[in-house]
Amino acid sequence: MSNILSTGLELLTQRIAIADPISVALQDTAPVAVVWMAIPFFVGFSGYLLPKFHRYLALGIALISLVYGLQQLWAPAPLTVQLLDRFGVTLFIDSLSGYFIVTNALVTAAVVLYCWQTGKSAFFYTQMIILHGSLNAVFICADFISLYVALEVIGIAAFLLIAYPRTNRSIWVALRYLFVSNTAMLFYLIGALLVYQSSHTFAFTGLQDAPTEAIALVMLGLLTKGGIFVSGLWLPLTHSEAETPVSALLSGVVVKAGVFPLVRCALMMEDMGPLLGIFGVGTAMLGVAYAVVETDTKRLLALSTISQLGFVLAAPAVAGFYALTHGLAKTTLFLISGNLPSRSFQTLRQTPLYAPLWTALAIACLSVAGFPLLAGFGAKVLTLKALEPWQAIALNLVAVGTAIALSKFLFLPVATQSKDAAPHAMHQSFWWAMVLLLGSLVVANGLHLEVYTVTEMAKALLILGAGCLVHLVLVQRLALKLPRMFERLEHLIGMMSLTLTALFWMVLT
Amino acid sequence: MSFLEACVFATVLCGFFGIILKKNLMMKIISMDVMSTGVIAYYVLVAARGGLFTPIASDVQPGSYADPVPQAVILTAIVIGFSIQALMLVGVMKLARDNPTLESSEIEKNNTP
Repeated sequence: MSNILSTGLELLTQRIAIADPISVALQDTAPVAVVWMAIPFFVGFSGYLLPKFHRYLALGIALISLVYGLQQLWAPAPLTVQLLDRFGVTLFIDSLSGYFIVTNALVTAAVVLYCWQTGKSAFFYTQMIILHGSLNAVFICADFISLYVALEVIGIAAFLLIAYPRTNRSIWVALRYLFVSNTAMLFYLIGALLVYQSSHTFAFTGLQDAPTEAIALVMLGLLTKGGIFVSGLWLPLTHSEAETPVSALLSGVVVKAGVFPLVRCALMMEDMGPLLGIFGVGTAMLGVAYAVVETDTKRLLALSTISQLGFVLAAPAVAGFYALTHGLAKTTLFLISGNLPSRSFQTLRQTPLYAPLWTALAIACLSVAGFPLLAGFGAKVLTLKALEPWQAIALNLVAVGTAIALSKFLFLPVATQSKDAAPHAMHQSFWWAMVLLLGSLVVANGLHLEVYTVTEMAKALLILGAGCLVHLVLVQRLALKLPRMFERLEHLIGMMSLTLTALFWMVLT
Repeated sequence: MSFLEACVFATVLCGFFGIILKKNLMMKIISMDVMSTGVIAYYVLVAARGGLFTPIASDVQPGSYADPVPQAVILTAIVIGFSIQALMLVGVMKLARDNPTLESSEIEKNNTP
């Protein structure tokens, strides 16, 4: 048996050696990348046998990813790894991947800290580590099949995390998520095959010579998975009904798994940029239009995630930084909103909040709204600079809308004395998570100091002021309820066919 | 070949419409299986474009080979699809305890806020 195994290994190494000149010249760092990608899966499964250490292992994995991601941010040249052959597994790691990996690491670390004293079972941490690992795999892979596998593993891990409380509702929400994502991935598979048929490779670069149907099908899969535009309307219910740490993970980093390949393709292919720009602006406006009139905290945050994904998609060149700031801020918001006394704004307006909790909430809100001194400001300025004029106008409006929506959090009453505050039962580790996330938001600010000009700062303050004003004058008194008809399962699946038709038409013209 | 291709796409579409139109949650999952069967068949069909023979090294030269790459890839997708289906059926089993009819619109109504 071992004989066969060793011959097999020998053959495999020979195969790698003769396959391609690139793989012969595997850079020194390539094995590091492969080992780093595999570690979460090994640790996740073997750690299941050591339930006592599971929290430490999860935190350790996140820290390893953090170090690796930070290192990639300043890597001089992108790393390309090609295993087996041109149809084999290809990895591509550059600073864009670095930003997403850092986001993933920080969000996972914060969520582990949040769960530290809540007595979650080893199963929960295993799923979290596997989710973390497969997200990392998405952020470094460069071919459609590795991407498919990673996305499906994400789907399974997310399903198990959402269904973890095992109530009827959580099972239904998880089932619905898997239904939508699996149907989308089937379309994606057809698209991937069409890419292979035209260029005999599954690498992202093959999309350049692919027929229009291939582009439309692949894009449909990724758009649905990433929760973008009308095909992403599964997102509000899923993210708002999941448990607090799970929805923080989902909103903070899991949706970015669908966006990242799109951004990567847009950077590789000139033609895809404008197409994604249209989708980005559409998503941003749709999400914010729903968010402004929403009366439920967690749903508002989920809808704001949709609109922020539009920003990420609209400017692929700075997508990494935007995703980082959004991931950090949104995770904070979800973790805090899970600890508020109620989910309805109406109730919250009558119960004063514990002051430190409100402060953390306000900092995260201000970052999403683009307030100077926080990383969200830099990300927003860079994004708006990278856009076409018509997009910039639309996204400035969306920025005002975001400020309006998040003002609902900013204007919640604060308790002046701690005994007035609503009862709070936060563990110490919760505050560590907050320190990690908010600290990173301030530190990440240092990555792009060049955006601090007087005009930009004035503009940001103006947008924020306008948002607060509109909120106080108008939205607070408004009682509008948008229909939720489009969020039913049949409609979500049916919407895919409409999106596909629209994509076809857009790609053809 | 184009006739087979049409059949494959008909299968995919049947599955897709089944997911939308079938009321029973179980039937929806089976429809999804039909759709994935169509996709798998399409991979096999495309792999067989160049020839039908299995690419195994031997002394006999049988002629044109089938492309092994799509077949190898779809094997992964079959396994993943299978495991997802198993997972979903477990979920449905749990739901069936309180909703014996498994009518998706009813379950949805009961479980959306």
